[in-house]
This record gives sequence, structure tokens and C-alpha cells, in this order.
Amino acid sequence: MSLIRIEHVDKSYASRHGTISIMQDVSFTVKDSDFLAIVGPSGCGKSTLLRLIQGLDRPSAGRIYFQDRPVDRVCKKMAMVFQSFALYPWLTVSQNVAFGLEALGWPEERIGPQVERYVSVTGLDGFQEAFPRELSGGMRQRVGLARALAVEPAVLLMDEPFSALDPLTAENLREEVLQLWRDPQLPPDAVLLVSHNIEEAIELADRVIVLSRRPGHILAEVEVTLPRPRDRKSAAFYELTDRVYSLITAGGQSLATAPAPEGAGRSGEAL
Amino acid sequence: MSPERSVPTTYPKCNPTEMLGLLVLLNSHKGSEDVALLADDLDLEIDEILPSLEYAEVLQLVKVTEGRATFTDLGKRLVQGTIRDRKGIIREQLRRTTLFRTLLRALDNSPDHCLSDEQLGQIVSFTTAPADEAVQNIVNWGRYADLFRYDAGQHRLVAVLTPASGRTGGNRPPPTGGPTSRGGGPVTEPRSARGRPASETTEPPPSGVVPVLA
Repeated sequence: MSLIRIEHVDKSYASRHGTISIMQDVSFTVKDSDFLAIVGPSGCGKSTLLRLIQGLDRPSAGRIYFQDRPVDRVCKKMAMVFQSFALYPWLTVSQNVAFGLEALGWPEERIGPQVERYVSVTGLDGFQEAFPRELSGGMRQRVGLARALAVEPAVLLMDEPFSALDPLTAENLREEVLQLWRDPQLPPDAVLLVSHNIEEAIELADRVIVLSRRPGHILAEVEVTLPRPRDRKSAAFYELTDRVYSLITAGGQSLATAPAPEGAGRSGEAL
Repeated sequence: MSPERSVPTTYPKCNPTEMLGLLVLLNSHKGSEDVALLADDLDLEIDEILPSLEYAEVLQLVKVTEGRATFTDLGKRLVQGTIRDRKGIIREQLRRTTLFRTLLRALDNSPDHCLSDEQLGQIVSFTTAPADEAVQNIVNWGRYADLFRYDAGQHRLVAVLTPASGRTGGNRPPPTGGPTSRGGGPVTEPRSARGRPASETTEPPPSGVVPVLA
């Protein structure tokens, strides 16, 4: 069953220099139990797309449906994890996790047990009373994850969640997110990950949607059927990475005025 | 320090999520790999993964022979487990280390079941590493494994209630209001002059300096 349908979505902003088109005619579907990644160069509208899907912003044209109903306000069945963790520094770990539940109007007596459950499944036991400043980046992002999962979302939206972490910590958290997604006892049903890192997308996702430079449009949808855990040094993995990378660079060349890729990262695999 | 303080031990020079990351990485290499290739996979230098590798060896999760890291049976079990299973295994392995055994005994023997940063610093002062980094890592691991709590307001470790000890041990540290005296623990030796540098954190919290736990 399709969980989310994105149909011919355009997004543009008015500016002093006229209308700036962020994305054009984006259409795809997110199915139950999908792990979908969206990759593309900086400024292609990846993060904007997540905001549109959650209902934090409206498309300029086209429609977005969640469980066959149009998304016309903030969807409570989705939760977001941010690159910057976005924790409240004056609240403890438990209070940060409780925050979303309080905002949704959960009855007080159910909040405590729910917080405990999600503190525990994300490995935060022992840190309940800590403040964000006492935590390492990895632990902070676990709080972000616990807070998102505690509202039991059908869809977990992740906006560059591993980009601010050191490589070993990111490796660990990527695997833990996969573990949580695969556990049928736990939310979410589907994960939508935005990343500028092609390797990361291929390591995690079942499908990778490749966006072009601005205005972002879909260049391809790439299926990833490699068994997990995925070996980044395997020939099949290389081949997929190359394919996605070529798609993006070729997509860029078709736009005469497109600037050179920004911040081309390690071995050209990250954009 | 004095010879009788030279407790043989290795303290963690990484934090738990880093070491777990290394184990996850090794698992994606089918459980055995050349250390240099492991580092290379994440575009890291070998010395960037050594602290995690070293502590994984201390916890008997990995064996390194001739430059090749391989899971022990316990290490294999850990990576196959859930997030909670992993925590349980690490908790048990930490309890076996001289360092954490010493700390838990000291917490148990302290009348209020607390240890100030200075007391903790004295226990780890036999190491050659900067004591602040050592303290931060130890606190982080102990907290992660739920072996003790940490009261950042009063800079002290607080024992976790265990059914075996039958003591309350101040399981939940009381809220702190402004600068207070150290938790009244038995300071049997002169306090170390080695203070916690203010540069540890960029945003000065209201009641003293809170360590940024690496």
C-alpha cells in the first residue's frame, strides 16, 4: 500500500529578482516499510521536499497525499530527525523526549512510560537526567531519534542525520536506525532519508531517488537489492555508487548555467 | 603518583558510540579485517580507530593479531544483538575491568555513595593521559552502561541502586542550586590541584563548568 504519494510537486519562491524555482514536477511514492533515500547536490530542494511532505510548507503546484488523504497541515504521523539534533538545551534527555508527546496532547500518565520505552530502545538508559551539553554528538542524535520515535510515527523523516557526527559514531547510528526500522514492534513503518552522501544512501536504502541540481527534478529512481550489512568495498556497491554519481553529474551538465559541484567530498562519492 | 596507586588498568580513550561504530564496521567486513583496511573504509587514519579498537580488545570483543582484527564469540554476539543487548554485554564486560571494579567498590564504600571529580581523578591518576579526558570518558562509559549516574551540577559520580547492595545510594541526584560544596564524600587525600579547565565547554553553564563528555 502506498503510504505517501507525491504528485507533480513544484516549489518556487518569489524574490526581488523574480521567481526562484526550487523543484519541478517531482513525483514518487513511498510504500509501507520502505527505506527511501533522496540524494542530490546542495540546493536541489531535498530538505524542502521533507518539509513539504510533513506539511510544514505547501507546494506551489501538485499534491502530496498521506494514506490517500491530502497533506494540508502538519502531519502528526510523521516525525523529523535533524542534522543539528535540535534539542532544547535547558531540558534533560527525558524532558526532550517527552516534549513531542506533550505537544501532541498525550495524557500525562502515558507520557512517562512512553519516554522510558524510547529512551531504552535507543540506548539512552543512564542519560535520562543529563542535559544535551553533557552528551557526545552520537548521544545527542539518539535523543533526537528517541524524541521522533516516541510519537510512534508511521514515517520517520531524516534530514542529513549523520552529517554532523564523527565517522565511527555515524557508522554506529546508521546501523541502529536500520535495526529500529526493521523491528516490527517499533515505529516507523517507513524511513525517508535525505543525504548528500551517495554511499550512505546506498548503504541504507532500498530505493534511492536521485535529484538534479536546482530546480530539482527526479533524474532516476535506483533500486538497491544488495544484502545487508552492505560492504562498501564490494564491486556491486561501487557500481551503484558510480551510477548515481554519473547520473547527478550528467544531470548537471545538461544545465548550461549550472555551477560546478559544491564541496565534492571524499573520493567524489559525496556531493 | 605513588607506587601503591599504580592500579593496573586501561581506561577508555573513546566513547561507547565510537567503539560500537568500529564493531559495526568490522561486521560489515564479515567479522575479520586488516586494521588498515578497516580505517581506510571510513577514510580514516589507523590512529583514529585505534582507541576504539584498543577498548574493544580490553572488553574482549575483538582480538587483534598481526594487524588483523577479528571478533571474539562475545563480539559476534554483541553485533548480532539489539541496542539493548549490546548495552547489557558492555555493562558486564566493564564490570570485569579493574578500573570499573575499583570505581564501583569506591562508590560502594563511600558513605554517601558518591565520588567527586577529584576523587575520580585520583583513582585514574596513574594513567599517563590527561586526567580530564580520562574522567570524561569513564563517566560516559559508566553512564552508558548504567553502572553509575553522574550529577553534572555537583561534579560527582552517584551510585546506582542495585538489588544486591540493598542501598539507596542516591540513585537520583538531587537538583542542584548554584555552587555547593562537594557532596561530602570522604576525601582521604589532599585534593588534586588539577582542576577542570574552563575551556572544556563553550557555553558556561550557570553553576560551574560541566564537562563535555566526549
